This record gives sequence, C-alpha cells and structure tokens, in this order.
Amino acid sequence: MPPAAPPPISRRLFVGGLAGTSALALGGCGPSQRRAPPGRGSIRVATQLSSTSDTLDPAKGATATDYTRHFMLYNGLTTIEDESLAAKPSLAQSIESTDRLNWFFDLRRGVRFHDGSELTSRDVVHSLLRHKDPATGSKLAKVAEQFGEVHADGKYGVRLRLTGPNADLPTILAQSHFLIVKAGQASPDGTGTGPFRLAEFQPGVRTVGLRNTEYWIEGRPRLERIEVIGIPDEVARVNALLSGDVQVINAISPHSIPRVEAEAGCAIMASPSSLYSDLIMRQDRLPTGNPHFVMAVKHLIDRPLINRAIYRNRSTIANDHPIAPFQKYFNAEIPQRTYDLDKARWHVRKGGLEGVRLPVYATPAANSSVDVASILQEYGSRAGLNFSVNRVPADGYWSNHWMRHPMTFGDTNPRPTADLIFSLFFDSGAEWNESAWKNERFDKLLVEARGATGEGLRTEMYGEMQQLVHDKCGLAIPVFISLIDGFDTRLKGMRPLPLGGFMGYRFAEHVWWED
Amino acid sequence: MPGQAANPPAWLGVSRLVAKRVLSALLTLLLVSVVIFVAASLLPGDAAQEVLGQSATAEQVAALRHEMGLDRPAVTRYADWLTSMLRGDPGWSYIAGMSVRDLIGTRLVNTLSLAGVTALVSVVLAMTIGLVSAINRGARLDRALNVVTLSLVAMPEFLIATVFVLIFSVKLVWLPSIAMISEEATWGETLRSCALPVACLAFVVTAQMARLTRAAVADELDRPYVEMARLKGVPLRRIVLFHIMPNAAGPVLNAMALSLSYLMGGALVIETIFSYPGLASLMVNAVTSRDMPLLQACAMVFCAAYLALILIADIVAILANPRLRA
Amino acid sequence: MRWAASLPLSGRIGLALVVFWLLVAIAGPMIAPYPVGRFVDQEVFSPLTGQFWLGSDYLGRDVLSRLIWGARYTVMLAAGAAALAVLAGTSVALFAAIRGGWIDEFISRAMDTLISIPSKIFSLVLVAAFGSSLPLLLLIAALIYIPGNYRIARALAVNLAEMDFVAVARARGEGALHIAWREILPNMIHPLLADMGLRFVFVVLLLSGLSFLGLGVQPPYADLGSLVRENISGLAQGSSAILSPALAIASLTVGANLLIDALKPGGGH
Repeated sequence: MPPAAPPPISRRLFVGGLAGTSALALGGCGPSQRRAPPGRGSIRVATQLSSTSDTLDPAKGATATDYTRHFMLYNGLTTIEDESLAAKPSLAQSIESTDRLNWFFDLRRGVRFHDGSELTSRDVVHSLLRHKDPATGSKLAKVAEQFGEVHADGKYGVRLRLTGPNADLPTILAQSHFLIVKAGQASPDGTGTGPFRLAEFQPGVRTVGLRNTEYWIEGRPRLERIEVIGIPDEVARVNALLSGDVQVINAISPHSIPRVEAEAGCAIMASPSSLYSDLIMRQDRLPTGNPHFVMAVKHLIDRPLINRAIYRNRSTIANDHPIAPFQKYFNAEIPQRTYDLDKARWHVRKGGLEGVRLPVYATPAANSSVDVASILQEYGSRAGLNFSVNRVPADGYWSNHWMRHPMTFGDTNPRPTADLIFSLFFDSGAEWNESAWKNERFDKLLVEARGATGEGLRTEMYGEMQQLVHDKCGLAIPVFISLIDGFDTRLKGMRPLPLGGFMGYRFAEHVWWED
Repeated sequence: MPGQAANPPAWLGVSRLVAKRVLSALLTLLLVSVVIFVAASLLPGDAAQEVLGQSATAEQVAALRHEMGLDRPAVTRYADWLTSMLRGDPGWSYIAGMSVRDLIGTRLVNTLSLAGVTALVSVVLAMTIGLVSAINRGARLDRALNVVTLSLVAMPEFLIATVFVLIFSVKLVWLPSIAMISEEATWGETLRSCALPVACLAFVVTAQMARLTRAAVADELDRPYVEMARLKGVPLRRIVLFHIMPNAAGPVLNAMALSLSYLMGGALVIETIFSYPGLASLMVNAVTSRDMPLLQACAMVFCAAYLALILIADIVAILANPRLRA
Repeated sequence: MRWAASLPLSGRIGLALVVFWLLVAIAGPMIAPYPVGRFVDQEVFSPLTGQFWLGSDYLGRDVLSRLIWGARYTVMLAAGAAALAVLAGTSVALFAAIRGGWIDEFISRAMDTLISIPSKIFSLVLVAAFGSSLPLLLLIAALIYIPGNYRIARALAVNLAEMDFVAVARARGEGALHIAWREILPNMIHPLLADMGLRFVFVVLLLSGLSFLGLGVQPPYADLGSLVRENISGLAQGSSAILSPALAIASLTVGANLLIDALKPGGGH
C-alpha cells in the first residue's frame, strides 16, 4: 500500500458542516415563501399528541386533540366563549335553578344533528347519564356522581337534581366531556349538532371536518374544512408551521418562540392558564413528612430562575397554592415566597436534615419536571440536601410512580372552578390528595364554601384555604404554565382563553381565513 | 469443494432451503410472540387503566377489564390469541375499537412503501459507494468516503431529519416538512411528501451498507484468485464485477438484509418527526397503551419481514454463487 | 510509542482521537469549568465566549462542562456495551457452532427472535419495566446487540470449524473448550474487532435514539446524543450547544473505527 496521504477531508468537512448549519440561522423567510394552505377556507391543525386512543366519544376525551375534535363535532348545554369565563346557554336556551340543587334546562328548538334528526331531551338525558355508567369509561365519572336524577320533562325540557347544591353546574357542563351526543349511541360516532361534520376519522392519523352548512348558529362556522393531525415532536411541529404545511399548532416550547416570532406571517398566542406541575412531598413518609423539610424545599425553589431558564419568562410565578392570579377568588394578600438560602439552611438544621439523600422522581409526562428537578438538585446541594434526579419514562408514570415515592411530580390541568381543584386535589379524603396532608380547618372550609351564599364570604373562605395550602401543604407549586399556540396570521379571530390552548379548544367554530 | 462433483440444479437447493426456513420461521415467530407477551406483561398497568387514565374509578377499571377480557389468567389470554392467530385472525384492538387487521393494513402499506423506496435508493447508492471505495482502496477517495460514512453512521437520526427539514422545507420551501399520506392525494403529492423521510432514512442505512459492502469486497480483493486474474491482465473493474461480486454476495446481501429490516421497525424516529403513519409508531402506541393484540401483530409483521429478507438474501446469494448450491 | 508509529496515518489519527476522548472521559470531570447542572448564564444558547468556551445550552448551563460529562457517559456506555455484546455474542456463537445440531438451531432462532424486535421499541419496553439505572442501560444496550454479533461470529466459526486444523485438533482428542479457545477464536479476532467498532457506533446511536424517547442517562447528566436532543431547538440558530456534541459523536466514532481498521493484518504497512 502506498504511504498514506494526509487526510484531506476531516477538517474541511467539519468546518463545512458548521458553516452549513449556521447558514440556517440567517433570518426567516417572508410569508410569500411559505406554502399555501390546502384549499380555500381550509386549514390544517397540528397537535402534540395523536394515537390509537383518539376517540369520537366526548366522555373519553383525554388530550388537546380529543377536545378540539369534540368541540368541532358537538355542542354542550352551555358554552364558555370569552375571557369572563362565564358559562352561557348554548343548546339549552335557558337554565333555571332557585336552590342550586334542582335545575331545569329548556332546550333550543329545531337544532338538528348531522344526520338530520332533531335534538330532544332524550339525547340530553342520555348524554348526561352515560357518565354514571362505569362501562362508558367517562373521564369525569367522579364529577358526574353529583348528578342525582336526570329526566326528560316534555320534548324539550330536562330536569336535573344534584346530590348537593352546586352553583358551578353551568360551568361544569361547558366542559368538552359533557357535550351532547345522540340518544341510543353507546359509543358516539361523531354525529353531533356541532359546526363541523365528520368527513374522516383515523385514530392516530387524522380527523377531517367539513363545514356543517345547516349549523344552528347563523354565520358560523366560517372555515370550509379543518384537518387535525398529530406531530409529536415539538421542533418538527414548529417547522411545519414555519414552512406553511400547517396553519395552527399547539404546545410550543418557550424556547421556540423567537423562531416563530421572527417569521413574518406567523404569530404566537400565549394563553395564561392555571396548569401547573407541582413537586409532591408526601406527608405520610419521611423525611418529606417533616415540616422543616417541606419549608426548606419551598425556600429552595428559585421561581424567577425557573420562569426565566425553562419558560423564557412566559409563565406566571406561583405561590405554592393552586389558584392563579387571574382566577376568581385569588388571594393577593399572601406574601410571595422567594428563594431564601438562609431560611432553607435554618430549616434543614432545625429539622436535623443535614446530608439527607433522596431521589426525586421526574418524568416527561409532567411538564418540565425533569428540568425543575435538575434545578432543585443543584440548589439542594447548597443547603445540605442531596437530591438525585430519577427520570422515569412517561409510560406508566401515573400508575407507578406518581404519589408512590416521597418526592414525585404531579401535573394538574386547569379546572374551571376553585371548588373543583380544591375538592379533587386538596381535600384530605380526596383520592388525589397528592401530598397526603390533613388539615381539618381546610376540609371544613371546603364544605362550607359550596353552600355559602354571599360572594364576599366565599372569597374570604377560598382566600383562607389558599393561605392554609401555602403554609402547610406538602406541595411546592413554582409556576403556572402558559399554553403557547402558533398560527398563520392569515387566520383571524384567534384570541387566548385561559381554559386551554386553541381558545380553550373551541377555536374551530370562531376563526376565519383572510388571504 | 464438496458438491462440485455433481452440481445439482439451483432450484433444488433453493427449494430445500425455503422449506427448511419456513419451518424454522414458524418457530421464530412463536418465540417472538412469547417474548413479547412476557415482556409486555412485565410492564406496569394494563390496557384498561391506560384507556381510563388517572381519573378512573375502581369500578370503571373493573368493568373495562371484564369487557376486554383482561380478568382472565395470562395463559388463557395467550392461548386464545394463539389459536385465533393460527386461524389467521389477529384479533381486535383493545384501544382503537377496530380490528387489528384494519388498523395494521393501511400502516403496513405505508411502511412497506417507505421502506421499499428507501431500499431502492439506498441499495444503489451503497453498492456504488462501497464498490468505488473498495476499488480505490487506500486512495484519497476511499479515505474521504470512509470518514464521511463513519461520521454519518453515528449521527442521531433526529438531527439529520431536523437539518433536512430546516433546509428543504423551512428555508427553501421545496418539500413538505410532514408526510401527508391520504387517499385523495395524487401520486405526485405523495411522492413529494415522502421525499424527506426517504432521504433521511436512506442517509442512515446507506452509510451502514456502504461500509459493509466495502469491507466484504476488500476482503475478497486479498484472495489469491484476484492476484491471479490481475497477473493475467484482467482489468480491476472486470475482476470486481464478475469475480468478486458473486463471492462477496453472501456477506453483502446478508448485511443489506439486516439494514433493510431496520427500515421497518427502526424508522420510529423518522416516522415521529415527519408524522408518517407507519408501523413503528403504531407499535410504540401499542406498547404505551398496553394494547396486546396490536403489539403482538406488529411484532409478528416485523419478525416476518426480517425473516423474509434474510431468506431472500440467502436465495440470491445461492443463485449468484454456484459454489453455494450444494 | 513505536507501535503507534507503525500505524498508518489514518490509524494514528484514530488513535489520537480515541486517546483524546478517553482522556476526556477519565480526567475531564476534574477540569470541567463548572458543575454539570449549574445554571451559569442568564441567557440561553449563548455563543462562544471567554467565560463559556463552547457557549451555553437551552437552560443557560455551560456546554463545555456538559460535553465533558457527556463524553464520559457515551464512551463508558458504548465501549462497555459493545465489549459485553461481542463477548457474549461470540461465546454463544462458538458454543453453537461447535455443538451444532438442535442446540445450534434453537440458539439461532432465539437470536433471530431478539434481532427481529425493533431495538428502540424493545428498549422502551425494558426501561418501562425495569427503570433506567446506568448498569441496566448498559445491559439493555448489550442485549440488543448480542444477536448481531452472534450472527457474524457464528458464520465465521462454522466456516473455521470445518477447516483441516480443527479436524486435526478434534482427532487429537482436544476438548470443545480447547478447540474454541485455541483453534477457532484466534482466527476470527480481527473481524470481531471490526464488528465491535461497529457495535460501538450502534450503541452511540441507540443512546441518542433512547433520548428521543425520553429515556437514558439520568439528568442532570446526559450522554452526547441526549445533549444533541435537549438542545435541538437551538439548531435553527446554529447554536454550539448542538453542534459541539454532534461533532464529538462524529470524531469519537470516526476515531474508534479508524483505529480498528488500522489494526487489521495488512493494514499496518
């Protein structure tokens, strides 16, 4: 073999590679360069999740993709359409209750399902009662337990008797799970009264809806066709928006915001929400059950750092209780808890916790929990607590790890009312009392607030409950996470609703396209 | 050489091989189904829990388990699955509420066409690169190709795919960033939207196959018969094409079969990034939703594809090289 | 030194790269400028500066420090898993080749079984079932690449087992272990080494594939593939947080394979 010549390639190749990739960084391209949408008044929407568990059954809805699909096909008795978050009549033209216990719904006349049949009280009774049948597999079966009796009163009247008074019923019924399906359908097939007819449904691949030309609301919807697909990879989703292959996407990482904003013709819509990912310290285990441990950890969390590094200043700083500043009954009096190394050290010393070693279970299933856990590990070492991050797969996390170890992460979606969030996650008897804390005063207030009549009194009660959670509960809630959508600016009418991305998943009915 | 005395016809060796392979393929498929069944039952939770999610009540889980038949013992479930499989029915998906056959049908077509086109592209490329490097062994060109293929082999696929998308979809707007496979799409649209996934996959496997081809051919180049032929004045190209290739066919085809079987199940990352509805992402879906019938069926398909590819490689190798026909 | 000088230039380059990455893996953490998980930069994806030689990553951590630790995990895991896979695969292959018959058939079918299950999906199942500690990750990666090595080793061993010198050894009445160890193995060492180089590359690739699925080395540590993955949103701006681990992967795999190629008989002249 001849003596080896110097390798001509390696260096040049690497330098070339570098230069090639940096060329990508040179600005975005104008809207004219992006691909045109699939047809006139036709858009393609990409969500972060699509799988074989995609469903046409509103009761089983579990993902943003499901909720979006269900609001395209069905209507609810009530609806929430603006920032006030007040529930307004929809399929029910009026809602009456004198005691918040017995409710009467008077249905709108002449509303037709996509197959031409008329909406009657039978459909509504069926749609509500099916949540109480375990075979339905409703995601809100627990909430539906309070539906004591539901029966038809004439062709267009429905009477509902709750098991206890609840002023929030109209808000609860506006959720996608309680959308109205056709009577007699054990598993709904997409035949609803909604703004779009189902043209194609392939679980895990796509949903196509065509404009319902006989929609009962005049002038809606204004789009001809919507196709919903899933692009699980975040960077790929953003790229699809930038190249014009899709017109709306959800779940943008805060790190990608500058890319979307740099692109003329694309915009960001950040919806502040009460979604939070919380650090759970079990009160029935050690050392997390030690009150000094909880206080030390709460003081070790650098919220501005989390907001800056992980969320690029797009989240809302939280105060270790679940009510966000923009929500009803928020208690602004509680001083904001801040990172305080001295206090944390003091608690560590006082609690005899020096040198404690503990794994923190984090998972991609709970928003940014892996990064938050890494931050906690870093800061813990300064106060003498040795945390190790144990990242576990999203697969099986909720049944296997969540609340099963002294320190895990939870991920709590926005709930429409303060009562719902407190009853589901903080009542000492609740199944999802994540930290297993017990506070008699809190439990008492929770029951009393439901029956309390004056708004002032309720505000005071919910305010005290927030203070109790802030002081005593074994949960650290660093920030409320904003939901970030991106869209083509030729799509008009997009505005944030704090209920979720995509205008609370209801955008299909409201938006329109202008070239 | 044994068997050289009376050279039996090629078809005899081939059909004997096929018969033997089909038998052992059945054994392999059975083993795969057992492994998958056992591995999946080690996973926490079951289909009923996964469908109902965090919010499930014990009552709901029990009802759904009963409906899905998950309350029967594991052995019974496996036996049931096996008997219906033997009758040619892969069963009913726990999650999607449709038959596994329908669910897999469209995805299989997608996966096969993606793999097929990629195979076509990458085999041609890999053979060319491999042969060119082998012929120019030690020269600059060979070294350059060597370093390039080596650096590419280990590059994460998601990086290659994302770079491609940035260049060809976002920057140049030539090709779609997602694969939109639908019935109403024309052939041209489908081909265009598959261009990037095919290119990315081809990138990965071509590098692998080219390296293996070069290695196998280079090994043969050291054999005495090559020396003889060269002394006789036969040009190197002729030697490579007519003398070396038949002899190197065995290992080369084998390596190619392995790489190509990767195109089916290994396309997971590419399928995810381009949101291409293929079998690998369906199988991951089946794992995370604990959808046993679907999972088993996917595993069967991948295994069958692998065995078929190996068999084809062996048959072609036998036909190409008379010495192997014994 | 004299041995290194006897290598061809490509081999010397390979050796230099391998030694470099080995040094980084062993001694690197001592010279890393910052702790691997510390948030040192207010900005994210900063370019190269005097303070942060390779810039900062998507959370504002020092890329150089993370790269050094990443190299340690990748080198250790990939080399360990590749060696383990080749060791196990070859041992089983020798056993199967010498025994032959139904034992050979059964082992070969079992290996086919393993090889035909897509590797990423298989590791997803294993990690979901058993968790992802470092030793487990090593075992999973090794397990996945045993069948590939087995196929090659068995093919080599079966050929060698029919050679005259093996027949002579058998006639001498040597035991199976002696034949495998003294007669067959020495004649297949070079292809096996080359295969190990390939397995090494595959493990590096598998690790980055796992990071795509959210599995792998526990944070705040990361292997090189995970570094690429976690900083992928910096790709459009050409951030060094993504380019440097990618270059590290390339140079590591190129180096290891150049070295192995140069070790072949005939490669050293």
